[in-house]
Amino acid sequence: MLFQRKYVLALRRALYKYRYRKRSKGGEQEGEEMIKTENLTKEYNGNKAVDGLNLEIAEGDIFGFLGPNGAGKSTTILMLVGMIEPTEGKCIINEIEVARNPLKVKAIIGYLPEDVGFYGNMTAEQNLDYFARFYAMDANERKKRIEELLELVQLDGVSQKVGGYSRGMNQRLGLAQALLNDPKVLFLDEPTANLDPEGVFQYREQIKQLSDEGKTIFISSHILAEVSKVCNTIGIISKGTLIARGTLEELKNEFGRVGTENLRIIVETIEPLPEIEHEDIISAEYSEAKRKVVIESKSDLRDYISSELFEKGVKVKEMRMEEPTLEDVFLSVYRR
Amino acid sequence: MEAKGLFNVARKEFIDHLTSRKFLIILALFLVISAISMHQGIDNYNDRLERYKEQISQITGEEGIEPGYMPEKPSILLIFQMMSFQMSLLGAILAIVMGFDLITREKESRSLKSLLSHPIFRDEIINGKALGGILALVFAIGIALIISFAMLLLFSIVPDLNELWRIALFGVISVLCLLTYFSIALMTSTVSENSGMSIIYALIIFLTISLFLPMVGGMVAEIVVGEPPESPTYRIPPPPPTPNANENEQGEVIKPVKIEIPMDEEEWQRYEEESRAYWEKRSAIDGAIFTLVPTTNYLAVSSAVLSKNGGGLMFFGPGYRSETEGQDMLERIWKNILALIIFPLVFFAIAYIKFMRMDIR
Ligand SMILES: Nc1ncnc2c1ncn2[C@@H]1O[C@H](COP(=O)(O)OP(=O)(O)OP(=O)(O)O)[C@@H](O)[C@H]1O
Ligand SMILES: [Mg+2]
Repeated sequence: MLFQRKYVLALRRALYKYRYRKRSKGGEQEGEEMIKTENLTKEYNGNKAVDGLNLEIAEGDIFGFLGPNGAGKSTTILMLVGMIEPTEGKCIINEIEVARNPLKVKAIIGYLPEDVGFYGNMTAEQNLDYFARFYAMDANERKKRIEELLELVQLDGVSQKVGGYSRGMNQRLGLAQALLNDPKVLFLDEPTANLDPEGVFQYREQIKQLSDEGKTIFISSHILAEVSKVCNTIGIISKGTLIARGTLEELKNEFGRVGTENLRIIVETIEPLPEIEHEDIISAEYSEAKRKVVIESKSDLRDYISSELFEKGVKVKEMRMEEPTLEDVFLSVYRR
Repeated sequence: MEAKGLFNVARKEFIDHLTSRKFLIILALFLVISAISMHQGIDNYNDRLERYKEQISQITGEEGIEPGYMPEKPSILLIFQMMSFQMSLLGAILAIVMGFDLITREKESRSLKSLLSHPIFRDEIINGKALGGILALVFAIGIALIISFAMLLLFSIVPDLNELWRIALFGVISVLCLLTYFSIALMTSTVSENSGMSIIYALIIFLTISLFLPMVGGMVAEIVVGEPPESPTYRIPPPPPTPNANENEQGEVIKPVKIEIPMDEEEWQRYEEESRAYWEKRSAIDGAIFTLVPTTNYLAVSSAVLSKNGGGLMFFGPGYRSETEGQDMLERIWKNILALIIFPLVFFAIAYIKFMRMDIR
């Protein structure tokens, strides 16, 4: 029984994949717009929480929406899912304007709010069943779907009422809740906030699987590592405005050299190191009885260092170059 | 869209109420208390019935029945009238407990945001909550009536059709009364930041309209209308001058002497007219203030429905004005009926508007 369901799921996934691949191969312009905002603005007491945001996210993308606390991520998502009305501008999802037709949009999206909440006096199944009744599903379909989802988020077999859930369990149920209607577009507001490492790992697997099914996924987070692991495109928001947009690579290239123009080369050896000199070297710090050096330089000097050491018969234990990490990129962009 | 969402919300709310511990505890308390008073009421009724039968047998034993001497058969409806007092207190508490955290709890647990992310209109939520609450109230009162009915049968008292109809009407009126308090609680729940504040506001409103208003009602009427006109008979002349106040050694108080002035026919008539106008005005204001008190309205209407001749003294006494017709009664209590209907509507409208405008974050 269990095995059978898994089999069916896998088959369906494969089918989705096939269909999706075929479509993008078939000359159809890849990345039809699924989510779009035009001059989206939200004011709270004269302060702009979101300020003239223009976003375009293609169908099938996993979009990471990055920004520090209070940047306006949640506000943007709330407007996108039709929970609050924009002060100015509009949101369009699947060519439907959200503010004009919120119900039609809600029927095709899934939304995991930050700090998602449920009815504590009911079990996970009862909670999901309540929400599922707002869609066109009969009792059997609901039951099947809920079983499937609880298995996906590994809450099957939990008979406890939701009031007694841990925060991580709550968060996982939140994902199941967002997937009830098998949405085309998924909005996740800080989905890993309360998850343990194992939970985060499973969540990433689930996101990949959902993406394979062709869903467009919008993930907000303030943790870059989180977003970089699952997203293929990224937008960075700060103080309500979009300050960067592109794929991971594009962002790295665009912002990579900002603030950290220099490379760091770290060399560890078995014998003590000789002095290494080169015009590009800015500084060199020796440590561990001259068996380790951290060199800051203007260019990649690894070839040079390696042949220097080889000539002098010094055996190398490790040599690596540190490029600016995404973290650095992120911070440098934030701080501008 | 059909009302699918509305019914889904109402269904869930109804089940929530019926499975909530506080609802069950208060309902149980209410049922036990009504059963006890029902029992007393039935005893009382049986005593009366006994006396009535005696009287009847005495009368029929004699020659010829004097008209106007016919003793009245006691009504089982009196038993239900006792219930109405408990209903107005415990029922009010039940209704407030049911409603005070309906919205605040959703805000506090953040389930409202989850709920609203599914295809449902906001008004379906608030309407569904109201509908679910109404159904639970109907359920509570239905149970109470069924239990009392069962008790009647247990004591081999079988109500006739007319009495059944009146008992059903009494049930409807009771629902309206409880609905008033439920809508007050629902309103404070949409207006308040949290459940704690909500219950405090609800209690303040409850105490204001059920204790404070009746208390100040008379005072307000007097302030508005002023002192009653003075009777011409007892006009007090200015006190006679007391030249030697010190002479009174016994400490006796010297009272001014009332001097009766011979009645002036015209003056008297004017007085009567003034007086009538005064009391009419005063009782109108009094009445207006009292229609703001749900309990008064409820007791007035239910005692009218339950009293035998359809007429009414507000608190049932030994005698009934048999000349009172249904028409007359309706004239007297239509304001109370209207108030019982309008009150819940007004409070619900406030809750509705506030909920529709509420910022969901
Ligand atoms: N109801 C409100 N009234 C006034 N200001 C608000 C309100 N809600 C949000 N804000 C402001 O809007 C800004 C954006 O808030 P938002 O919750 O969108 O940030 P965020 O990017 O989601 O932050 P976090 O990472 O902490 O979740 C904040 O500066 C906040 O103070
Ligand atoms: Mg946020």
